[in-house]
Amino acid sequence: MGVRRVAITGAGVVSPLGASLQEFHQALAEARSGIRRLPQEIAQGSGVQVGALVDWNPAPALTAAEAANIDRVSQFALAAAAEALASSGLDLASADRTRIGVYWGTGMGGAHTLEASYKHVYGAGEWRTRPLTVVMAMNNAAGSNVAVRHALGGPFANFSTACSSSAMALGEAMRTIAAGRADAIVAGGSEALLTPASLLAWQALRTLAPADPEDPAASCKPFDKRRLGLVLGEGGAALVLEDEAHARARGARIHGFLTGYGNSCDAVHMSRPDRGGQMRAMREALDESGLAPADIGYVNAHATATAVGDVIEAQAINAVFGAAAAEVRVSSTKSLHGHLLGAAGALEFAAALLALEEGLVPPTAFLEQPDPAFELRHVALKAERIAPPRAVMSNSFGFGGSNVVLVASRA
Amino acid sequence: MDTLARIKDLAAKEFSIDPDGLDPKAPLDTLGIDSLSFIEFMFKIEEEFGVSVSDENLKAIKTLADLERHVVVSLAAAGRA
Repeated sequence: MGVRRVAITGAGVVSPLGASLQEFHQALAEARSGIRRLPQEIAQGSGVQVGALVDWNPAPALTAAEAANIDRVSQFALAAAAEALASSGLDLASADRTRIGVYWGTGMGGAHTLEASYKHVYGAGEWRTRPLTVVMAMNNAAGSNVAVRHALGGPFANFSTACSSSAMALGEAMRTIAAGRADAIVAGGSEALLTPASLLAWQALRTLAPADPEDPAASCKPFDKRRLGLVLGEGGAALVLEDEAHARARGARIHGFLTGYGNSCDAVHMSRPDRGGQMRAMREALDESGLAPADIGYVNAHATATAVGDVIEAQAINAVFGAAAAEVRVSSTKSLHGHLLGAAGALEFAAALLALEEGLVPPTAFLEQPDPAFELRHVALKAERIAPPRAVMSNSFGFGGSNVVLVASRA
Repeated sequence: MDTLARIKDLAAKEFSIDPDGLDPKAPLDTLGIDSLSFIEFMFKIEEEFGVSVSDENLKAIKTLADLERHVVVSLAAAGRA
């Protein structure tokens, strides 16, 4: 079986930093944070103080009637996928759409729909729920909405591995295209879980950062010794991944190639990360891409700003990169857009493309006091301009010990 | 507003169609309303009028005019018409 190279030909973003790839990249370049105090109607009694909300208006992409019957997580998916497809230049009208698929990732699925249903039943004590509850809330609804909207009848898959969900969607889509089973796949993820009860559940885990007393936008501080935890965000991101020959034949603009995908399970603990598992995933991605650590110019770290997680990842990066760790730039853009959970992998992969294509490395914002417990070549406070690197890496590590690492190489 | 006008108004909102162009006698599938959309719409009708439509009666509803008759009968049975 001949292995085909997989090109990145389109990208779309709905994020707390803006609802387009361009706005997202612009905010990263300017180190502008999308984290803010949560309004009371969202936080309610959860005790959660800050979050990264999307300033979202479903119009004009969706009519009011459509938006009322499609969960927020699917709305983000539809918008991100529509932008990705439009930017890819794929002419769907003339394409064989049974050769184009959708691979999606989400952690919580239709959290808003489910919570509204429970609120009705247990809160109001009315044993009635809207008939669309099932198809709005089911975990594969976001990806299926994309497939239905564009009549993409090729392979479909939905991944739910917490914070590595959408990174896994990208990696598995790459494998599917490389095996010749699809010409193109819209791959990505979305998450919309900023509901009072979901927030309460996260708060109960004691992993969320409180509001920074002076600047709520600076509440998430990965790699900083003052870090106090993660900040939840919402949004979605989609990439169009395409067989290189297919992309070249239609003269598509190629942003880069997805060349490496590592997937491992820590298999030691449900929430505590493990250096060994993370190293396995990074090494597998490097091996598949055929690159040496020194070829990687930038790592978009998973680093969520928890006390333990950032240390483990820094150790894993140092162990895998060896001497090259002194050179490779590392940042966690979660400082700006928060943690999008199931959508994080695809969104951060889109962030890493800024470094790959333009040599503009997005920073770990607010990193004024790097934790002396570990060494990394931080890109702190503001974006750094470098010569476009040969390749970049994006790490996504989820609860349950699911690790996914992606490597993208220059076109 | 009479019952049919209220139903047409709800249908117009639910399906993004012009209420004036709605023919109450037209089969619902010709209005582009599929079975899932119809069930969701019926839920909203039940909420709006405070009535309950049984599965059996639901099957007999093929048009907005059929729907109006069921709502009117249900309201009368409940002594609210």
